[in-house]
Amino acid sequence: MKNKLLFIIIFVFILIVGAKNSFFVVTEGRQAIITEFGKPVGDPITEAGLHYKKPFVQEARFVDKRILTWDGYPNQIPTKDKKYIKVDTTARWKIVDALRFIQTVKNESGAQGRLDTIIDGATRDVISNHNLVEAVRNTNAILKIVAEKNSQLKLKKQRGEDFLEEETAQDISTISVGREMLSTLIRDSAQKEADKMGIKIIDVQLRRISYERSVEAKVYERMISERKKIAQKIRSYGQGEKAKIEGRLDKDLKDIESTAYRKAQEIRGRAEAKATNIYAKSLNQGPKFYEFERTLQAYRNSLSKKMNFILSSDSDYLKFLKTFK
Amino acid sequence: MSFQQNQGPDFDQEIRKFFESFRRNFKGIGIAILAVFLIVMARATIYTVEPDEEAIVIRLGKYQETTSPGLHFKIPFIEIVEKIKTTIVHQAEFGFRTKRTTYRRTQYSDDTFDNESLMVTGDLNVADVQWVVQYKISDPFKYKFQTRDPERNIRDISESIMRRVVGDRLVTDVLTIGRVEIASKAKVHMQEVLDRYDMGISIQTVKLQDVNPPESVKASFNEVNEAKQEQEKVINQAERRYNEVIPEARGKADKLIQTAEGYGMALINRSKGDAAKFLSVLKEYKRAPLITRKRLYLETMEEIFARMENITIVDSEVKGLMPVFGNMKGATSEK
Repeated sequence: MKNKLLFIIIFVFILIVGAKNSFFVVTEGRQAIITEFGKPVGDPITEAGLHYKKPFVQEARFVDKRILTWDGYPNQIPTKDKKYIKVDTTARWKIVDALRFIQTVKNESGAQGRLDTIIDGATRDVISNHNLVEAVRNTNAILKIVAEKNSQLKLKKQRGEDFLEEETAQDISTISVGREMLSTLIRDSAQKEADKMGIKIIDVQLRRISYERSVEAKVYERMISERKKIAQKIRSYGQGEKAKIEGRLDKDLKDIESTAYRKAQEIRGRAEAKATNIYAKSLNQGPKFYEFERTLQAYRNSLSKKMNFILSSDSDYLKFLKTFK
Repeated sequence: MSFQQNQGPDFDQEIRKFFESFRRNFKGIGIAILAVFLIVMARATIYTVEPDEEAIVIRLGKYQETTSPGLHFKIPFIEIVEKIKTTIVHQAEFGFRTKRTTYRRTQYSDDTFDNESLMVTGDLNVADVQWVVQYKISDPFKYKFQTRDPERNIRDISESIMRRVVGDRLVTDVLTIGRVEIASKAKVHMQEVLDRYDMGISIQTVKLQDVNPPESVKASFNEVNEAKQEQEKVINQAERRYNEVIPEARGKADKLIQTAEGYGMALINRSKGDAAKFLSVLKEYKRAPLITRKRLYLETMEEIFARMENITIVDSEVKGLMPVFGNMKGATSEK
């Protein structure tokens, strides 16, 4: 009876060990490859779940099935137009051929190392074969924006409206490739190498493109001088407008004053003419009497009491002084 | 067995005693063991999903289903459950970091994240752009198993896309009018790329926060603003002066014209009056001209001579008086 118990225990033990060695779980997001004494057998298992292998002689090796991330170290690369920029790339990749992957790079850290070389190299090649703007801009949309701005500015100028001028100082060149296309070029070029490792590079992203320190300082300098130029332009535009207004003030003032003078003189002239006409008409009816009467009035008005008057006794006024006739 | 016999009956008794007491206490211990067993089983079988979560059920490594909030059962040890917050809006920050939000005022980290926020614009200038991306997990299974590092992918793509969008704009537009458009474009493009990875993320919003010129350039951007202010000030001043002077001048001009009109009217009225007076008098004069002449003459002379202080009357027969005229005053006083 005791032997029987022992036998059962041993049998169960063997069963457990055997099961443990022949069934294995492939979790979601992973894939497995079965090797027999180190030699790969059959296709990689990509379906998640419980799977079977021959116990003891076969071994299951797991690799990731998910999209993995590669993060590159920022590189300093001169562009085709000799501008030094720092390019920081990232990439997403996945293991599509687990067998080849294990054979060529063994594991992920091996793959990372290889990807560093491949993607950095591809990035370097592509960036240095293109001008800086190709890596900065994606489309030529900006040209449209600039053109629109300029035409609006022109229109405003034509209409003579008040405008705060703020134009783009430098000319903006056309691009033929663009940022997105550059990353595709990098990807395609890196993919050729990655194929050998059973890796698919899904995309390469130009995460950051920044100026190298010394270039950055120059760019800032340029930005500052550009701003200053614009500020100066705005200021002198203000002064110009001021002068224009002052000129208009001067002109309008003179116009108003002289017009008023002219009108006043015209009015006076007309009135005097009319008055002269009225006098002439009435006085012409008795010119002699007018002369007489007006002369007497003039005497009355002009001869003052302080005058010395010598009067001859034979004047009409004094004629009765000497005789009563 | 020999070992047992060596110990003798004492040991046997001990064992028997033990079993007896065991039997006595069996009921209590058994219940305790059963209770513990039941609790363990329950904990391994029942799970709850909170209202802000969804859970994915993995059976022997394979995905079975996604369960919604509530109480659920699973096969113990065979099924594994992972709970993922799907209703919560997650936020990724770029160019700045929120340190804590527990105080009344949200605090931000003082560190700068220039690496993240400085970007080259389409006119090859540099702008400092800070933004946030808010996203939700729309598919917990894909989120968990499609990519290994979803957060990092979101960050990488967001940076890449934001730079691409800003790279197609002028620095002045980025700093001023372009904000809303940049954010909405970035959102669309980000979602496009993430959909390509099929990673179960849905972008809710992309919002631009502070957008500035780089620190060392800020002053000159401010200068432009100041210049604008100055320009407006100068123009306004000139216009104010114009508006002061011109209306006054117009008033003065009006006055000048009115005065002239008044003068003219007065002149005409006076002439009319004078004419009427003259004609009336003339009418009467013509009836008796001689006597009227005489009367007018005498009246006038009377008036004139009445006020004269110094009249010398010379007889018409006296001759040789003329030389005296040179010294008129002396001559009169001598008299």
